[in-house]
Amino acid sequence: MKARGLLGLVLVLGLAASARAQGLSLSLSAGVFAAGQETYREIYGPGLPVALEGWLNFRGAFGLSAGVTWLRDDGSAVAVSGGGEQYPLRFERLTFPLTIFFAPRLKGLVLRLGAGLAFHSYREKWQTVDLGFEGTCLGPRVCAAVEVPIAGRLSLFGSLVYESIPTGVEYTRGERINLGGLQALGGVAFRVR
Amino acid sequence: MKRARLFLPVFMACGLLFALSLPRSKPVSLVKVLKDRGPVWAVLERLQIDVRQELETCFLALADREDLRALRKNRVAFSIIDREAGGIEDYFIVPLRAPGTLDELQARGRAAAVEPRTAVFWTTAGLPMEVLPSELPRKPLSSSSVLPFLRAPVDIKRAAPVSAAFQDPVVEVLAAQVSEAGLRSLVQSLQDFQTRYASTTQCEAAGEFIYNTFSSLGLDDVWFEPFVFSSGYQSRNVIAEKTGETYADDVLIICGHYDSISPSATRQTLAPGADDNASGTAAVIEAARVLAAYPLDFTVRFIAFSAEEWGLWGSRDYAGKARTAGESIIGVINLDMIAYADAMPEDLEVIVNGRSEWLAERLIAAADLYADLTARKTVDPSFVYSDHSPFWDQGYRALLAIEDNPLRNPTYHQTTDTIDKLNFEFFTASARASLALLAELAQPVREGYPRTPIGLTAEPVVYRSLFNAVKSARLSWAAQAGTSGYNVYRTNMSHLDYVKLNDAPVTSTTFTDDHLRIDLPYYYVVTGVGTTGLESNFSREAEISPDNLMMTTQTQVLNFLQMLRAR
Repeated sequence: MKARGLLGLVLVLGLAASARAQGLSLSLSAGVFAAGQETYREIYGPGLPVALEGWLNFRGAFGLSAGVTWLRDDGSAVAVSGGGEQYPLRFERLTFPLTIFFAPRLKGLVLRLGAGLAFHSYREKWQTVDLGFEGTCLGPRVCAAVEVPIAGRLSLFGSLVYESIPTGVEYTRGERINLGGLQALGGVAFRVR
Repeated sequence: MKRARLFLPVFMACGLLFALSLPRSKPVSLVKVLKDRGPVWAVLERLQIDVRQELETCFLALADREDLRALRKNRVAFSIIDREAGGIEDYFIVPLRAPGTLDELQARGRAAAVEPRTAVFWTTAGLPMEVLPSELPRKPLSSSSVLPFLRAPVDIKRAAPVSAAFQDPVVEVLAAQVSEAGLRSLVQSLQDFQTRYASTTQCEAAGEFIYNTFSSLGLDDVWFEPFVFSSGYQSRNVIAEKTGETYADDVLIICGHYDSISPSATRQTLAPGADDNASGTAAVIEAARVLAAYPLDFTVRFIAFSAEEWGLWGSRDYAGKARTAGESIIGVINLDMIAYADAMPEDLEVIVNGRSEWLAERLIAAADLYADLTARKTVDPSFVYSDHSPFWDQGYRALLAIEDNPLRNPTYHQTTDTIDKLNFEFFTASARASLALLAELAQPVREGYPRTPIGLTAEPVVYRSLFNAVKSARLSWAAQAGTSGYNVYRTNMSHLDYVKLNDAPVTSTTFTDDHLRIDLPYYYVVTGVGTTGLESNFSREAEISPDNLMMTTQTQVLNFLQMLRAR
């Protein structure tokens, strides 16, 4: 329900904003995710996210972006004390970011610096044992994105995003799980108007 | 002269500095810490509070100003009972059995109710032993912290008892040997000392009698353990041992106190104490007589404690020394007043604390199987008025078997507590039930059966993801000659409801039990299977403790129980 509500809000904001929008571009990118918490890195290592985002430029230098990022990571359970068994794990995360950005006018490229919120839905599943966990949460994000036109409406796209994803779940006493980290993405952008 | 003038202020300044640097004694208070707010024990453990008594609804602790500040800071609900706590032996836990008891206590000294049925009493005017009314049992606070033994309770719902359906013919034979005539004779002999008040020579003579009786049974060892009690009196516990054939260092105890009491005017000369507690002592001696001839896997100690009526002195001395020596005591069966029946059929009441519940469950099953007696369990950490309680304080598992709770014997602590008031049908059944439990736990060694496996160890291996964890137990044991395979059993409740894990006997001496829940304890035992299919006794238990790694409140364990059942 939360996810649907947020999607509805994004849609309404997007429609309202697009009515006043000066330009719109869509980006499709993939890259690498490095979790901030060592616990996550130890279990899953670096992740491979895929993102689709829409970038609306308003009059002036500000704009709004929304989209979806999907991340799937395979890892294996960590043996806390000895042990040589393998317990394969799969982690999946779906993120819906909403970002307000500032785009200074630069010659030859489009640079966007933004901050916002993202809604995260995540799931961890043990592959050989009937164990799993699902959760959702909201978290802040900051991003920097760049578009370099290459031909007509097509541009090369790159972004750097830092997100905090506080789950509120304790890993051990005093240490709460944060699924956030830094992701670097590269891909293409298409200018719709 | 000038030098002297200079020297004096320097000397005084040095003296002042020295005085300031001396450790100052901090004022200590006796406080009551309520249990009602979540896992208080964990907070007390983190703050290293000096807890001296666990009761049903609260803990009693000694706390200085820093401790009190820390308790307030951690929002632990507590109240101060005495702001200037003296020596620990000044404080006695006493039961509030009648509406006017608290008033009476406050008239004799200082007293505060800490629970609806429990009070703390202390006085600076005379010995508490003399000041307290004789009809009230009493227990001093523990002389050391009980904090190391306050473990988080694990809420496990017990499935239908498996072990209760199995009647062991050897145990049946042993239980049947408990003799009513033998019990009667022993009670009469103890009553004949006229008084066994712990400070009297008659009590000392009763100790000699018990020692000589134990010595005549052909046990492996008999000895006195002397101790000093209540500012200089001396008395002795009497101990007999039947050493285990397989596990000599793992001990089961059956005990009862042999001292007695009556009102202060008569106690020096007349305190027959037939029910309290010649009955328990006689049952202990009878158990020693029956078991003396049988080889057992585990060591059994038969103990007659003294000075129980003065405040559990004998058992406190013994349990404290056992903990200091690191003794492995599997369980304690304390028999105190097991022969009076206000109506027949009489039930046997079994009092335990949360960590000793398995003992009560086993006694209930044994009473039903071998003595045709109904036993009823009460989990009540506030019932601290007999010799099981010091064992609780030292982290050992112990039960109290008693005829009624609350007591109904009108001759309790009176000169009229004599053998003619006892019901020997109920008494014999109680003695049989306790002996049967002892024999089941100590495990008679059977001729022609494989030997009991030894050297069982369980090593936990924890695997964890971000949000979940599972545990494996790696078991290993020593190979036993004459054994063609082994069976491995597991339970979540110590000594109860073992479930076999393997379909066919395991031919190696290792076993791995996977996919265990991290938050539950697991207990394992192994049996040897002979070439003819006969199965040995259980090995001693190996434990995998619950882990506190996963503190999440949201962890969802999906269909975990179904998974365990499917296995």
